[in-house]
Parts: sequence; C-alpha cells; structure tokens
Amino acid sequence: MKIKVTSLYVDDQEKALRFYTDVLGFVKKTDFSQGPYRWLTVASPEEPEGTELQLALNTNPAAKAYQQAMFQQSQPAAMFFTDDVKGDYERIKARGAEFTMPPTDVTASIIAMVKDTCGNLIQLTQLARYSR
Amino acid sequence: MATSFSSLNWHAIHVKENKVNDREHYVPGPAGGAQVRKEGEKWTLILVRELRHSPEKVWQALTDPAQLCEWAPFDADGSLGTVGTSVKLTTVGAPTPHISETRVTRADAPKALEYNWGGFDIRWELEALGGQTRLTLWTNIGRRFISMGAAGWHICFDVLDHLLSGAPIGRIVGPEAIKFGGWQRLNAEYAKQFGTETINWPPQANQKP
Repeated sequence: MKIKVTSLYVDDQEKALRFYTDVLGFVKKTDFSQGPYRWLTVASPEEPEGTELQLALNTNPAAKAYQQAMFQQSQPAAMFFTDDVKGDYERIKARGAEFTMPPTDVTASIIAMVKDTCGNLIQLTQLARYSR
Repeated sequence: MATSFSSLNWHAIHVKENKVNDREHYVPGPAGGAQVRKEGEKWTLILVRELRHSPEKVWQALTDPAQLCEWAPFDADGSLGTVGTSVKLTTVGAPTPHISETRVTRADAPKALEYNWGGFDIRWELEALGGQTRLTLWTNIGRRFISMGAAGWHICFDVLDHLLSGAPIGRIVGPEAIKFGGWQRLNAEYAKQFGTETINWPPQANQKP
C-alpha cells in the first residue's frame, strides 16, 4: 500500500487548476470526466510520480460547512513542504496570490499560509534544520 | 437477440442468457446524429436518435428509476416524471461516490423533460413520428470531454433501444464503457467530427502543463 493521492475540496475546478498550476507551480497529472463527475489531480514537477493532489468539486453541503469552518478558524486544508519558504512566498505573491501569514518561525519549522481562491488555506512548510 | 421462432416462454427462459450473448456481440454503429453548439466556453451536445417505439414508452424509460438503471449513466431514487420533485441522481461507477440532487424543472409527458445532473442541464424532447419517436437530448458538457460524453450517450441510446425492444443487454456506463473498444472508437470519431482533441488514455499518463 502507498499513499498516492490526497484530496482537497474546491468550489471551482477550473479556477483551482489555474491556482495550483499557474500560481503554485504544480503540473496537471490526471484529468477525466464521467457525466458531471471530474477527476482532476496535480503533482509536483519536482516529484512527478509522487503523491497526487486531487481537486474535488465540493457539491456536498456537509463538506462545504466543514470547509468554511476550517477556513474561518485559519486551519490549513493541506500542507506542502518546501526547501525555501521565503523564496516560494515571494514567487507566489508576485503571481497575485493572497497570503494570510507571511513566512513565520514556529517550533521546528517556518510556515506561511496562502488562500487557494477556492475555499481553502494552504500551508507552506520549511522544516527547520538545527545544528547539533 | 430473440429470433422469430421464439415463443414467449422460450423468451422468458432465455432472456438472461441472451442478455449476456447480445452484450458480447454488441458493436456500436459509426458516430452520428450528434451536433455541438459552441457559444464561447459553453458547449452544448445535441444528440438525436430515432427509436421504433412510442413516445409514451420512451417517456417511461426516461423517467422510471427501474428502467433508468437498465440504460442511463445514473441511478435515480425516484421518478423524474413530475415537475418540481427532488430526485437524487447517483453517477454510476464514479471513482468516488458522486450523488447530486436534482429538481425536475419540466415534465410534459410524453414530450419534454428537463432537469439538471450535477450542474449540467439535461433536456429531452420526444417527437412522435407515426408510432415511433425522435428523441433529442441537449446537454452542456465541458469542451474537453464532449466527445467522451457523445460516445457514452451513443452507447446508452443503443442499450435503451435494446431495452425497449425487449432484448436488454445491460447498461454499459462508467468503467464498462471506457474498457469497451466501441466506446474508444466512438470517442475518437466524435472528437474528429467536433474538431476536439481526444484525451490521453489511460488517464494516469503524464500530461505536460
């Protein structure tokens, strides 16, 4: 067994695809449709065979309520790791994204939080390297 | 298919066996009867099929949940035949459970039926042609997937025709359709007719951004 896909609810799949590719810099991995259903995933270009992020259309009232509550409580819906959170922050901000938290030192990491324009907060995490 | 020498009893005994045989031998005809109306990003697929059955009979197959599950790409938890009713439609074979609630916005039996399937408008028109029916479906589909949709509905209409003729072959939707060589061929044919590109298949294939 492998952890190969993780899912994120989005309120608009086209808009989400633009954000996760054009703004964050991921690449589209899988895209197919069956009737009104659309399976859409992106992957990191640094790890094209790595874990995929599914951008699932949120038409589920229960999921919508959960998503809104998490957003209002500043809870990230997903977390991505980077080796350069400050560089990513500048790059992503320059592409028009709105951060709710600039790169900030927390225990064992530096984090930043960005709105994905589709109902979610995304956390960028750079693990701290402590010298022994 | 039951041949002319079959009696009713024979038919009843062998109907299950025939379902399997007819399904194995089913090969869809060439792509046809479809148009695409392009208004900016909004594309509408229009499919026309003539059925050798009365509009009343076709209407039943379009609205009755017991018949829909024999041919349609979704299951309905109630009849679609009454305007104003809410019905849950379950997409068959979606990779994660996919249920959408719809409201029937028009139900003029046996002529016109309208509802929405998970954000996509569905409009059926049944035109009587001396005991037969010209069935037209309008539905909006994203342009990237319009040939897939046309291929899928084409096969659904064939399965519907078999069902109405009393020789059901079982519905072919979702994974059953995609694995089926006939669907792949129709997808390519419709893509050519519509001037769209077919999507890389299988879907796990890497795609450039």
